[in-house]
Amino acid sequence: MEKKRLDSHKDLSLWEIIAPVKRQIYGAMAVSAISSLAWVVSLVLILPIGREVLSDAPDMGRLWQLWGLMLIAVVIAFVLRTLSFNFAHLGAFRLEKILRTQLTTHLAKVPLGYVISTGSGALKKVLMDDVLSLHTFVADTTPFIARAYTTPFVALILMFVVDWRMALLSLAVFPIGMVAMYFGTKDNATERIAYDAAKEQINRSIIEYVQGMQVIRTFDDGTTSFQRYHDALTEATKTEQNWAKKSQVGAYVSRTLFAALPTLAIITPIGIWGAQQGLIDIPTLIFFVFLAPTVAEAPVNIMWMNMPLNQSKAGVKRIGKLLDVPIQPEPARSTPPHDASVTFKDVSFTYSGRKDAALDGVSLRMEPGTVTALVGPSGAGKSTVAQLIPRFWDVNAGAVLVGDVDVREMSSDDLMKQVSFVFQNPYLLHDTVRENIRLGKPEATDAEVEAAAKAAQAHEFILNELPQGYDTLAGDRGTQLSGGQRQRITIARAILQNSPIVILDEATAFADPENEAKIHSGIANLTAGKTLIVVAHRLSTIQDAHQIVVLDKGRVAESGDHDTLVATDGIYARLWNKFTEAQGWGLRRTSKPSIVATGEVPQ
Amino acid sequence: MMLIYRNMMHIAGSMAGVLRASIIITMISALVQGITFAMLYPLFKELIYPRGDGGRQLLILGSIFIILVLIDAALRFVIFRYDWESYIKAGYELRIKLGTQMRNIPLESLIAQKVGELNVVLSGHVDYVIIVLTGLYNIVLYTIIAPLITLLITFFIDWRLALALAVIFPFMIPIYRNIRAVAARGYHSSAAAHEDVTSNLIEYAQGLAVLRSTRQVGAQSVRLQASLDNLLEKQSAAQTLKTVPNLLISTLVQVGILVVTLLGLLWVVDGSLNVAIMLALFAIMVRYSETLAMFGQLATMFDIVEASLARIDDLLAIEPLPVKQPQARIERFEITFSDVDFEYAADGVSNEGGRVLHDISFTLPERSLTALVGPSGSGKTTITKLITRFADPQNGAVKIGGVDIHSLEQVELMQHISVVFQDVYLFDDSIRNNIRMARPTATDAEVEAAAEAANCHEFITRLPDGYNTTVGEIGGALSGGERQRISIARAILKDAPIVLLDEPTSALDTESEVAVQRAIDKLVADKTVVVIAHRLSTVVAADQILVLEDGRLVECGGHDDLLAVENGRYSAMWAAQQQARRWKV
Repeated sequence: MEKKRLDSHKDLSLWEIIAPVKRQIYGAMAVSAISSLAWVVSLVLILPIGREVLSDAPDMGRLWQLWGLMLIAVVIAFVLRTLSFNFAHLGAFRLEKILRTQLTTHLAKVPLGYVISTGSGALKKVLMDDVLSLHTFVADTTPFIARAYTTPFVALILMFVVDWRMALLSLAVFPIGMVAMYFGTKDNATERIAYDAAKEQINRSIIEYVQGMQVIRTFDDGTTSFQRYHDALTEATKTEQNWAKKSQVGAYVSRTLFAALPTLAIITPIGIWGAQQGLIDIPTLIFFVFLAPTVAEAPVNIMWMNMPLNQSKAGVKRIGKLLDVPIQPEPARSTPPHDASVTFKDVSFTYSGRKDAALDGVSLRMEPGTVTALVGPSGAGKSTVAQLIPRFWDVNAGAVLVGDVDVREMSSDDLMKQVSFVFQNPYLLHDTVRENIRLGKPEATDAEVEAAAKAAQAHEFILNELPQGYDTLAGDRGTQLSGGQRQRITIARAILQNSPIVILDEATAFADPENEAKIHSGIANLTAGKTLIVVAHRLSTIQDAHQIVVLDKGRVAESGDHDTLVATDGIYARLWNKFTEAQGWGLRRTSKPSIVATGEVPQ
Repeated sequence: MMLIYRNMMHIAGSMAGVLRASIIITMISALVQGITFAMLYPLFKELIYPRGDGGRQLLILGSIFIILVLIDAALRFVIFRYDWESYIKAGYELRIKLGTQMRNIPLESLIAQKVGELNVVLSGHVDYVIIVLTGLYNIVLYTIIAPLITLLITFFIDWRLALALAVIFPFMIPIYRNIRAVAARGYHSSAAAHEDVTSNLIEYAQGLAVLRSTRQVGAQSVRLQASLDNLLEKQSAAQTLKTVPNLLISTLVQVGILVVTLLGLLWVVDGSLNVAIMLALFAIMVRYSETLAMFGQLATMFDIVEASLARIDDLLAIEPLPVKQPQARIERFEITFSDVDFEYAADGVSNEGGRVLHDISFTLPERSLTALVGPSGSGKTTITKLITRFADPQNGAVKIGGVDIHSLEQVELMQHISVVFQDVYLFDDSIRNNIRMARPTATDAEVEAAAEAANCHEFITRLPDGYNTTVGEIGGALSGGERQRISIARAILKDAPIVLLDEPTSALDTESEVAVQRAIDKLVADKTVVVIAHRLSTVVAADQILVLEDGRLVECGGHDDLLAVENGRYSAMWAAQQQARRWKV
């Protein structure tokens, strides 16, 4: 079972997804079924009670017994019902935890590149919202399903046992009701698709409208975007109304018919007539007055259950899709790297869903302790090269070697020990600054943490500018740190990690130009003696690199040091000229202002 | 209850009339149901002890019963219809109303709302509230009115039975209260635990690279597991707390009803109660017991609905910034701040609290170029926001062309201002429409001219469908620089006399930067320009540089003047940046 589920999540049904807690859920359903049974039994007791009371000489002792039985049955019915919902709820909560653990464990095994390109927002939606969308089904619907089927089924059997003619009569509303229900629901499959699409459209336009609002309001009062929002809503509303119109008569008729009173209105008069004719006795008639409505209401109850089922479907699909992302294979035995070199051998790589190769036959060698700069226009493949080293993705052809060992022959533990990276978005946990740095080496002492912070030029601001020093909470919900401060904390973390290979996305180093100098000396400390790979955006910082690799359209176009490359008059030379132009750019006055600017500087 | 009713009517908008009618019909239908069930008393009596009039009486009673059932069916038919139509329309209207409100509230409050939360209000909360319109009030009315009517009639049939029944209900009230209180407490503690799990999951996804390298993943991720455990514990505790009162309320009702039937049995045996009445009561109670037992669970629904109503009301209650009368128009475009103090609203997102601008005064002449420089958090962005009347300053005034922007309609003000942000937002629409939105009346030729000026015509024509390419289709295929140039094309098309630039090139690589810089040169020609600059070299030629620190204006003047200031802030920044530029890996 477990194996099968991992093999194909695509067709994951709600029943399969609750497998981890199925014993609890099936238990809850069984309890619910017993509760329904007890409930029906309590109703059935009306028959002997009625007969006893209406007999010429009612036996008080027997009446007491029957009443006692009824009391017990009713108490059992309601206690078990509450318990079954309780079980199901507890199971649903446990399922949430199990699924989230399963999903996050899976995420740790899929290519990191997938996680990064999917983004935390989209992942959060699956991990939180979609998992939550199962709750109504698992917690509320499962016991209800057991009840919705057991009660009418048992009641119907007993009704036929007691009097088959009256039982048939109790089903009188069914022919018309079923036909109405058929017409009310026959378009459901197709209409639901349109409706779901419309709902999706509403949500999309809400998101777009809300997200774009700030921007849009700086253009005008929001007329254009409001129109788009308005149109999308109108369109979706039309679809909803259309469905309602198509199904309304059938739905109204079936909902009106499948209720207690219409059936009572049929069986009571006919039953009375039957009693007068001596065809049935009066307790039998009363018995049917009790039980027939439970059968009459069944179709509507069963129909209601489809709602949470349909609502959960989309979530289940997305959860299944995420669990379906193939994991990155780990070697059976890990070969540790021999040194801190990095080699690309004829590497080709294409992002899934794209046609054009991101890297096409790239061969490179970065010797231990050297600095390599990756340069090239955006989209040339610089970041891809950087991401392939820590195995964010696996290559399609060729091999990436760290210390002359293919990264695929290494356990991710061994590889991660070898490589540290400072990428975009300095990542801080909602925890103290100290713990955020310690993340680089969980067993580090406080002294080691502070030494790393000093080397990263972070010690000073942590002590002087943060309210609780190293114990200040960082992260989104903590003290607001500037981009430069966050950067220096992540550099301290990387320094603590002390890996022989460091990958640096230079763009991040410039996030906070006011602190540039400090970040630079932090980086210098981080990279001393290491194999350093820099994804370079600005060219001034890399003139002294041992090797500059110029990438263009996924290929290595040129490589060499700065002076050689400038002399060859190729892509690098062109980029260098542009760079010098950009550095010289300044906003220009185009016409002299009429009056001289004045600002008041308070003394 | 009344409060919910009032809010419901408020939210139903133009559907309020329909809703009211639907409620009245529901009440009538519940009344009819109550009477119909009470009809079982005489029916059973006539059945068991016929009067011997050849069944005439029975025929009459039977007919009345059937007629009542038909009336009820007809009424419910009408209600279903109302429900369906009104809920579709009310949801639509409510979303339009909220959408309109978002256009009018102050930008500061808009930003304070957070995108995610607003999404939830407009999609989820509206749906919840619509549930009330569709079915919840309906269930409540049936649950309360029908049994009450039947009970009332029972008083006339046999007052002892009715009294015994009436005694059960007061017992329900304290338990019902307890359920609500327990549910609310559980809701709050789980909500907090939920939030915690959410942020931990986001952190996990964002930090997976780091967490992987330290092996803190999946079940080993201590923080995440702890928050998941905490959530499970809170949810389970809340559920367990609810179990006892839920059990009590359902069994109490049932047992109470059975005790009443027991009394009935005793009275029947001692001859003081008609057997037929007792059996009829039995039948009636069986019908009502289910719905009454459900009553406790409705409580939780009400809490959710109340919270949603409150959230929607909060959003609708935000007042737009007042426009001082008489309204003015802008003729000239110099910008003046006089003695401006500003602090963010206490509940603002930034949580910055405290004052962010102190006593700021300056004049930016028409068609001049002004640079705002200073450390992060010094108030640069706030100044540009105040020019767009993001919020009103607590003291002082912001004037454009001598007119206090208080006296301007938002449309009138924004018509004269273009803003180019660092983050570009493109709509999922064609590139053409994305540019055209700056001036909906622009012709295709004008759109393309603007794109050309912004240096993006060339790459747009290389896209699969040129200007008709949908942004969503190519998604990530547009680079940051290309997106930025599209947003500049928008601004060029708008051709507003005032341009606000927020570090438009800071996040770009060299090649895009040159292209964006050229586009900006086109945009700012002949305009009153305010630019927030980190790289000081870009603003050397500004007419005026305002240096801000901690919300105060500390220096101001041209580049050369400021460099001449001894120990000046600007010269220090300049020196630091010049040094940084010489840094090498």
